[in-house]
Amino acid sequence: MSAPTTTTSPPPESPPSAKPHPTPQPALRTRLHTLPRHPLTVALVAALCAAVVGMVLVVAAGAELGSAWQALEEGMFGSSYAVGSSLNSAAVLALIAAGFTVAHRAGLVNVGGEGQLCAGGTAAAAVGLVLPAQVPTAVGVPLVVLAGFLAGAAWASIAAWLKVKRGTSEVITTLLLNFIGIGMVSLAVHEEALLRQPVTSSETLPQSAPLPTGAQLPLIGDVESPATAVVVIAAVAVLATGIVLRHTALGLRLRAVGHSPAASARLGLPVGRLEGGGLAFAGGLAGIAGAALVATAPYVLAEHFSSGYGFAGLVVGLLARGSLTAVAAVSLLFGFLTSGGINLQLAAQVPASTVQIVQSLLVLFIAAAMLFTTRRPGSRS
Amino acid sequence: MTAALEITGLVKSYGSMRALDGVDLVVEAGTVHCVLGENGAGKSTLCHAVAGSLTSDEGSLLLYGESYAPRRPADALAAGVAMVHQHFSLVSTLTVGENLRLLRLPDLAGRIARVREAYGLVLELDAVAGKLPVGVRQRVEIVKALLRDPRLLVLDEPTGVLGPAETDALLETCRRIAAAGHAVVLVTHKLGEAVRAGDHATVLRGGRVAGGGPMAELSAERLVPLMIGRSVGALDATVAGAVGLEPGAVEPVGPVTVGPGAAGSVPAAVEPRGSAPAALDSAGSAPAAGESAGPVPVTADSAGGGADDGDGQRVGGAALGLSEVTVRRADGTYALDRAALEVGFGEIVGIAGVEGNGQSELMAVIAGSLAPDDGRVVLHGRDLTRAKPAARTGAGLGVVPEDRHHEGCVPELSVAENLHLGRLGEFKRFGVFLDRPALGRATEKVLGEHDVRAPGAFAPMASLSGGNQQKVVIARELALDPLVCLAASQPTRGLDIGAVEAVHARIRAAAARGAGVLVVSAELDELLALCDRVLVAYRGRLLGPVDPRAEGARERIGALMVGADGAGVPAGVGQSPPTRGPSPSKAIGAH
Repeated sequence: MSAPTTTTSPPPESPPSAKPHPTPQPALRTRLHTLPRHPLTVALVAALCAAVVGMVLVVAAGAELGSAWQALEEGMFGSSYAVGSSLNSAAVLALIAAGFTVAHRAGLVNVGGEGQLCAGGTAAAAVGLVLPAQVPTAVGVPLVVLAGFLAGAAWASIAAWLKVKRGTSEVITTLLLNFIGIGMVSLAVHEEALLRQPVTSSETLPQSAPLPTGAQLPLIGDVESPATAVVVIAAVAVLATGIVLRHTALGLRLRAVGHSPAASARLGLPVGRLEGGGLAFAGGLAGIAGAALVATAPYVLAEHFSSGYGFAGLVVGLLARGSLTAVAAVSLLFGFLTSGGINLQLAAQVPASTVQIVQSLLVLFIAAAMLFTTRRPGSRS
Repeated sequence: MTAALEITGLVKSYGSMRALDGVDLVVEAGTVHCVLGENGAGKSTLCHAVAGSLTSDEGSLLLYGESYAPRRPADALAAGVAMVHQHFSLVSTLTVGENLRLLRLPDLAGRIARVREAYGLVLELDAVAGKLPVGVRQRVEIVKALLRDPRLLVLDEPTGVLGPAETDALLETCRRIAAAGHAVVLVTHKLGEAVRAGDHATVLRGGRVAGGGPMAELSAERLVPLMIGRSVGALDATVAGAVGLEPGAVEPVGPVTVGPGAAGSVPAAVEPRGSAPAALDSAGSAPAAGESAGPVPVTADSAGGGADDGDGQRVGGAALGLSEVTVRRADGTYALDRAALEVGFGEIVGIAGVEGNGQSELMAVIAGSLAPDDGRVVLHGRDLTRAKPAARTGAGLGVVPEDRHHEGCVPELSVAENLHLGRLGEFKRFGVFLDRPALGRATEKVLGEHDVRAPGAFAPMASLSGGNQQKVVIARELALDPLVCLAASQPTRGLDIGAVEAVHARIRAAAARGAGVLVVSAELDELLALCDRVLVAYRGRLLGPVDPRAEGARERIGALMVGADGAGVPAGVGQSPPTRGPSPSKAIGAH
């Protein structure tokens, strides 16, 4: 995406030269044309449109705009509890989106965050439950997180292997593996032989027993806040990924493979390993997100424990469009909006789905705007 | 009489780049008007503006005296303007007849018959379009355009993919269309075609009209300076070849061959085969010169002849040797059929042929992106048949791929990154990070050495012109140490004359340094002027070799290209294609 020309001074007259193209002479008309196509303008307009629809929905639900905004704001920043749970959500989203970005650099689209998250969560629960009750946090938590990473990476490796060896589209395979992963969690929490807690009565819920204290993610910040170490893990992951992608040879190789597998192969890059590794790493980060969800209160693996984070993280990754700064920003926005939405329902009796609709609209508008910005001006009447 | 097309002050900008900058052009009815120019001169943009596939920013068009402003291709068709695009638009799985029916024209059979009678364009309606040779496919495209009985026909670079005979037929068709009273705009960057077929010519350079006039008053010598802005005398014969001039038009470069002693080791000093005419001792065009010069390339007849029977050192001694390489396509046909060749050290071997006769597969086998079903690829004694590209590069095989944007470079990455992608390990800081400053310095050095015009070391590759992109690719491959063999496919395709010259100079320099060079090109003139030996790809086989300096070499290669082996091919040169059984090339494969 090229930034528009914003020079105000007229460009110098092109001297007669042997070059085939004359020097740029942006006409005023072109500049006016490109202004509304600037990515930032587009994002702002999209956000504004989404916000307007949100307001209409709030009014339609019979609430006052003012009180609704107050409820939303309180849900987002009103208490350290609100901030803490927002940060937790944002961290999970950021992990999945950072992984998505890595795979995307290698030219692969990982839509399997949900399945990888399920695999990671299941493995984390399995490992956490076999740990002795007195396990120290310094041992338990790293083990649980590592189990999540490995299981998520293994889950993604199935798709990676099919892609590298057989050329099967990773979009299809990762998408379908989601459903298997979700089903696997269901199976695990329903079978006592697997991870279900001991059934003592007909009211025993189909979920795992709680993880031992040493396997639970420690809280950070003040006692009121539910924010856990996942926030730190996510911040480190996003930062490290950003540095690797931008400042190392590995990042450059991933980018080369993503842009042109053929040219990369010609230049001797291990295309299959880079592609497969990128996708596996994406799965690993999603697996850590799953482990974090299991190792956060109520510390159990249950059906629907993923709450659709895998798909929400995918959306964050798509919106961030390859920038890890944007991954952090969009994750925070979505994380805070989600907790705000819950309070919106509690305090202002506006359905929390309003926020989901606004989020989805934001995605739609931005996607539509992409088309608008990338279309070659003048190519069609 | 009114002109068929009158263009006044046409301007078209892409962002800040002016593709057309006030172009004026008048095309008379009943004439073939050639639009000439280098790549990026604005030829295609002009075509698209006339055919309605893009709208111009300023300027006006008059079609037979009426104002004409097409906003979409349908407008152009309705006004009687048809365009034959550079790339074919046929559904390859449908038959020719079905493809024509897609146009949904009334009285199709009648129209086809009229076109056949008027222009002699015969079509086999039941043939599947995808299985036809390119020349025939192009004929279908032209018939498609003519079925609407257009008043103006625009042909955008129609001869790019055609062999010599097909090109002749196309130019003949253009003449007939003009003779029928229509106007033809023929866009090309090959001067020879324009001189042969055009009534008028207009030369574009940098989006402006550089000159033009009736063809009778123009000659190749006058057109070339208009196209490139300097005189033809400064050009080299191969460059003239690349633009389609007869080689006689400029002084040919003398052949300098490497003696037999050079085989097996990189010669310490090889006579430079530079473009300076001083390099030729016995005037290069004389047929006997090749032989009288004595040192016939050591491998001159190895591909077709049986002279190397039992000589096991041959494959190991050559820079690059291919034996019995066979590649089958998915449908069971042979893309390569026991292809064998040898490239000696310091030798330039060319592969001619109409596209699609196995050249692409041959290069893929050499480059390592395609594993042959059978046969061996040997680089200076090392068997690389199944080696990964990295191992091939390490062994000293430089490859300039056919498709620059697909395989040659990553257009989205910077010049520096493209140059050093294969050896990023050499640019590390603190053991982990990429040392961009060092990368930039190394790149600046290469850019200077190879005279690459780039906005900077970290400018995206896509921001460079095609010629400069190719210079970067070649610089990268020539930087191999040691460079045993350079395999270049279509190294000058789509480049303008100045860049062609630079690329040829680099290829010659590589050979002069002792590396073997294999050049695959669709431009026969280029091969004739550049190579020591020319093989011809025909249906997956490599025929020949032909000595490009011998008399009638062009005709012999032309005959081999269309499979007319025997006809006009003296015995001993056109060794008949290997037949199943004891073949001449078996001798190589046996080791």
